[in-house]
Amino acid sequence: MSVMAPLVEVTLRGLLGRRRTILLALLAGLPVLIALLIRFSGGRPDADRILDTLVVRTVMPLVALIVGTAAIGSEIDDGTAVYLLIKPIARWRVAASKILVAAGLTSVMVVPAVVLTGLLLGSRGGDTATTVVGYGIACLIGGSAYAAAFVALSLFTTRALLLGLAYVLIWEGVLSGLLAGTKFLSIRQATLGLAAALGVDVPGSEPLAPAVSVFVLVAVLAGALALASWRLSRFEIRGGD
Amino acid sequence: MSDEMVPPPPTGTTALPGATQAAPAPPPLAPPAAGPAPVQAPAPSTPAALEVDHVSRWYGNVVAVNDISFGLGAGVTGLLGPNGAGKSTLLHLMAGLLAPSAGRVMVEGESAWRRPEMYRHVGLVPERETIHAFLSGREFARLNARLQGVADPDAAAARAIATVDLTDAADRPIGTYSKGMRQRAKLAGALVHDPRILLLDEPFNGMDPRQRLHMMSLLRTMAAQGRTILFSSHILEEVERLADSVLVVYAGRLAAAGDFRSIRRLMTDRPHTYTVRSSDDRRLAAALMADQSVFGAELVSGHVAIRTADYDAFTRTLPRVARDAAVTLFEVRPTDDSLESVFSYLVRR
Repeated sequence: MSVMAPLVEVTLRGLLGRRRTILLALLAGLPVLIALLIRFSGGRPDADRILDTLVVRTVMPLVALIVGTAAIGSEIDDGTAVYLLIKPIARWRVAASKILVAAGLTSVMVVPAVVLTGLLLGSRGGDTATTVVGYGIACLIGGSAYAAAFVALSLFTTRALLLGLAYVLIWEGVLSGLLAGTKFLSIRQATLGLAAALGVDVPGSEPLAPAVSVFVLVAVLAGALALASWRLSRFEIRGGD
Repeated sequence: MSDEMVPPPPTGTTALPGATQAAPAPPPLAPPAAGPAPVQAPAPSTPAALEVDHVSRWYGNVVAVNDISFGLGAGVTGLLGPNGAGKSTLLHLMAGLLAPSAGRVMVEGESAWRRPEMYRHVGLVPERETIHAFLSGREFARLNARLQGVADPDAAAARAIATVDLTDAADRPIGTYSKGMRQRAKLAGALVHDPRILLLDEPFNGMDPRQRLHMMSLLRTMAAQGRTILFSSHILEEVERLADSVLVVYAGRLAAAGDFRSIRRLMTDRPHTYTVRSSDDRRLAAALMADQSVFGAELVSGHVAIRTADYDAFTRTLPRVARDAAVTLFEVRPTDDSLESVFSYLVRR
């Protein structure tokens, strides 16, 4: 862990540049802001719908996408990754550090937004605590899975942001709704399935079974770590000529 | 390294002298390389810390490094070549950042590729200028020390910062540094763990003359302590002032290897071409052809093109011959004196 500490520190400092931090704060603050508007305009309490539509489907994947693709992708782009790769550190530790930071930062941004939004609006069914805890835990794990997947993706392509966005908007947003059989390939569906397993009344179609949801999320986390480690162990940095 | 240049071997697959192990000859390079047999570098005078054994690296159809072999022991070696010659690719291969397409790179007897443990003994200063702009120079050096697992990162960082003469600016963000200061910060980062092998890619870029002298003195001292130092440059004078021995790379091939004086001699003694304009080109050409130093004179419209194999003799002879022939010289201009043409000549040789 002692070698991972400086990796985590430098990644965090690199990620929390002024513009990226403002963007992340605005994204994470959006559901809270909407909850405040609904609350003070006398709207009907419905945390479940806002948390499902706005947090799980939009804010969580976008925050994870921004953080995950930048955790090592920006260092590869600007050339500073070389200083991490010319050290006597097993490459899986580098990959694990990047995933840890991306997952942690996504959770730090998303989970408080879930809690505040849930508490401000209250659950439609009346059990606000179950909704907040259920969505909170599901987003903690689901957001980490998204972040890990995007970290791994950024090691395979320089267009990770674009491809990640396509996955979230097209695959998860459109195709997995139309093709029910592909639900198990969706981190979003697994997150909602986990929330449902924790007692949340998830709106919309039938969620994934709890065991399948947990399996998908764990597989994404483990698979992303394995792929990122494998890729880093063979990662080449070209010379200038 | 020996004082004399080593002539090209009869075949391109001779085992490298002084290599730890003779590897089986690699399969032929694809696409096949045309041209002369590769230059064989002389064996290092000390045990080779770095061995490059018939290494090639290509990207698709582009060959960046073409069947290069050499071994390096303690001392400073200059990797000389024009921009785009393959110097950085070669350094990255030695630093374990690129896999060879053919051949092998050995660092202290073990493969450089996919072996992070070797970085305990290897320091690299990459050419790319980018460095974590949000860190100060001291933080950057300390980060490197921590990642190297150095026992006392603060002390190691302070020592490295002092070594590269960056103490005054050590606590400023690197984003505010000049190019020369960034180079020194990068070097500090590469020195924190006191490496036995140091690879530097164009380390003098952006440095002012005083910083350059300081860096050269530092590298000489480190080499005298028994370290193996390889630095790349496209500037002949830099290599001349610092390197004990030189590897000349051109178009991905090892054009020459040996001590600097031998290579300098090769560069000077090659055939030279001059363009001369005078008051009577025909008479001057006829007079020059009688001189031993000139082996060709061609009248071209408006000037005479002269070929000579002896640079020194020709530059002494030309004014005398012109005076004796009562010809006034208007212009004397070498037409093939660029470093490019020198490297090109060395490869064709």
